[in-house]
Amino acid sequence: MKSISAKYALRSLLRHPRRSILSIVGVGVGCAIGIFASSWIGGSAEMQVRAASESGAGHLRVVPSEWPKTRENILRLGQWEQALAKVRALPGIKTTAVRARVNGLLAFGNRTAGAEVVGVDPAVEPEANRIVGKGRLQGRYLQSGDSNKVVIGKTLADRLDVELDDDLYVTLAGRDEISSAMLTIVGIIDTGSGDLDASICQVTLEDIERITGYQGPGEISILLNDYRLIASMQKKLTEALAGSNAVITWKQVNPGLAGNVEGDKVFTKVLIAIIVVVVSLGIASAQLTAVLERRHEFAILSALGMKGRHVVGLVVLEALLVGVAGAAVALLLGGSAAYYLATKGVNLATMMGEELSFENVLLDPYVYGDFGIWLIWYALAVSVIATVGASIYPAWLATKVEPADALRVI
Amino acid sequence: MNDPDKDTLVSARDVTKTYQVGKVEAPALRGITLDVRSRDFLAVVGPSGSGKTTLLNLIGALDSATDGKLTVLGNDLSTMSKRHRADMRLHSLGFVFQAYNLVPVLTARENVEFVLELQGVGSERSRRAMEILDQLDLGEFADRKPSELSGGQQQRVAVARAVASRPKLVLADEPTANLDGENAEILLKMMQGLNEQQNITFIFSTHDPRVVAYARRVVRLVDGRVASDEMKEPASSSGTEQKEAED
Repeated sequence: MKSISAKYALRSLLRHPRRSILSIVGVGVGCAIGIFASSWIGGSAEMQVRAASESGAGHLRVVPSEWPKTRENILRLGQWEQALAKVRALPGIKTTAVRARVNGLLAFGNRTAGAEVVGVDPAVEPEANRIVGKGRLQGRYLQSGDSNKVVIGKTLADRLDVELDDDLYVTLAGRDEISSAMLTIVGIIDTGSGDLDASICQVTLEDIERITGYQGPGEISILLNDYRLIASMQKKLTEALAGSNAVITWKQVNPGLAGNVEGDKVFTKVLIAIIVVVVSLGIASAQLTAVLERRHEFAILSALGMKGRHVVGLVVLEALLVGVAGAAVALLLGGSAAYYLATKGVNLATMMGEELSFENVLLDPYVYGDFGIWLIWYALAVSVIATVGASIYPAWLATKVEPADALRVI
Repeated sequence: MNDPDKDTLVSARDVTKTYQVGKVEAPALRGITLDVRSRDFLAVVGPSGSGKTTLLNLIGALDSATDGKLTVLGNDLSTMSKRHRADMRLHSLGFVFQAYNLVPVLTARENVEFVLELQGVGSERSRRAMEILDQLDLGEFADRKPSELSGGQQQRVAVARAVASRPKLVLADEPTANLDGENAEILLKMMQGLNEQQNITFIFSTHDPRVVAYARRVVRLVDGRVASDEMKEPASSSGTEQKEAED
């Protein structure tokens, strides 16, 4: 280190090693909490995005142009086969699933239950929808070519008091009139979530078309290989599908969950802001003490010709050193915790008991934290901003020392 | 023959300084008129409260006069900004303080280098600092911190720091007050040598008769006024040795 100013700053910190170590640990612990919280929220958000998209919403969804405004499930896609072909032709697409939805009434004996009946392609639905793929299935799932067959959720089955092979009387809102059909229950899905199971009622797409008279699917649900590309893929798809269809994200499909994810992010930002403020106040207090103790020294330096900006530079440099050391402590503590969270995960089911669901989304019981190179930038940014920000007032105060004080004998 | 204006480093004309202590005005200087010429080795003496330190503060651009005109190195201090005063102190003035006032966390060499770094001296900084320290017989202490040096050695390092920036004028406030006789002699001879060999002008504020003995000019302040201003024959190293022999 050739700069005398840098040596001066570093050695000034070593005048009171315990105070400096406490400042560094304070910055480090505060920043580590921020790292852990960010890792948790980042992982949790990623989990919720994955759960939402894989629970049927898709990362992206192609819908009729009017759907985002009306959310009418009787709307159908225009030229859906060409649209599907264009979607599948794009790189980065993991799975696509077509669906058609109709509101209906299920009846068995004297029992009835309202449900959204979803027409699906049985060949791809288990891959595109974790509710189907991961739920406990009694009986079997739908197969291509099935006719007048239905799979329902356990809650619906309990409400209607039905079993496998029972025939359900289904009434649907058809194109021209109310339509009815008898459907045989071939499968009952139990996700563990009563609310979720009350919403499951699936038939083949062909059955929906035949019973209601509405032709074609009302949506193409798309899963991407990388969820971080949602925005760019939405743009590409919108350009590719210019016409009567629209491309929307899972957030538009499931605004409740999107709001939850955004709420978590805001909470994290507020938490980080609080940490920065608390850490900054602590550092400001320590730095102020250090500056007040060295008033005479600053007066000497000023008398020797040191200018205000150089004095500020010295105090800020000391803060910067504390900030960088604090970042190292933060990476050691917070980084280790985030690494554990990212590799081992935390099983929420052990804390919350039953299967987790939210807004018709089946969540993973394990939360894996976010971990990556961002930790380094995060730790450096938070701790350096906190410490350097905290040093501004003490630095300004140091410039206010009168050089004439240097001639006063202490 | 020297041009008197060019030779005048400090020109004070009816300079006053009054401190405000609460509602009470405390006059420290009551109209000082004084010229300091290049190569002066000048002692400002007087009893406590006579205004010696205040005068040094004003000449060193550390404080501002209440009234009168004070010109240092051709600069009218009353019109200079804080930044320009700092520039002048950094590039043209040197300070030696009674309590040494070295930066405690830096070594002797680093203390000298620090001033050069502030001046913007680059790679030759370290060499120049060592040259000065060697010249003042401090080479072997270069890597010691102030706490590892005696008072006399610290004050010599302070002189090295003061002259490292090649100033025209060095202001020394009671530089020997904390030194024993031997160290005071060494320091004064050293400063006398710098005055004679490098044409550096020294102004001391002092109570110390040893300093007065070495001075070529003595300005006596009483109650903030110049009571006397006399040229005299300074003590020299040979003279001192002769006096010691006679004793």
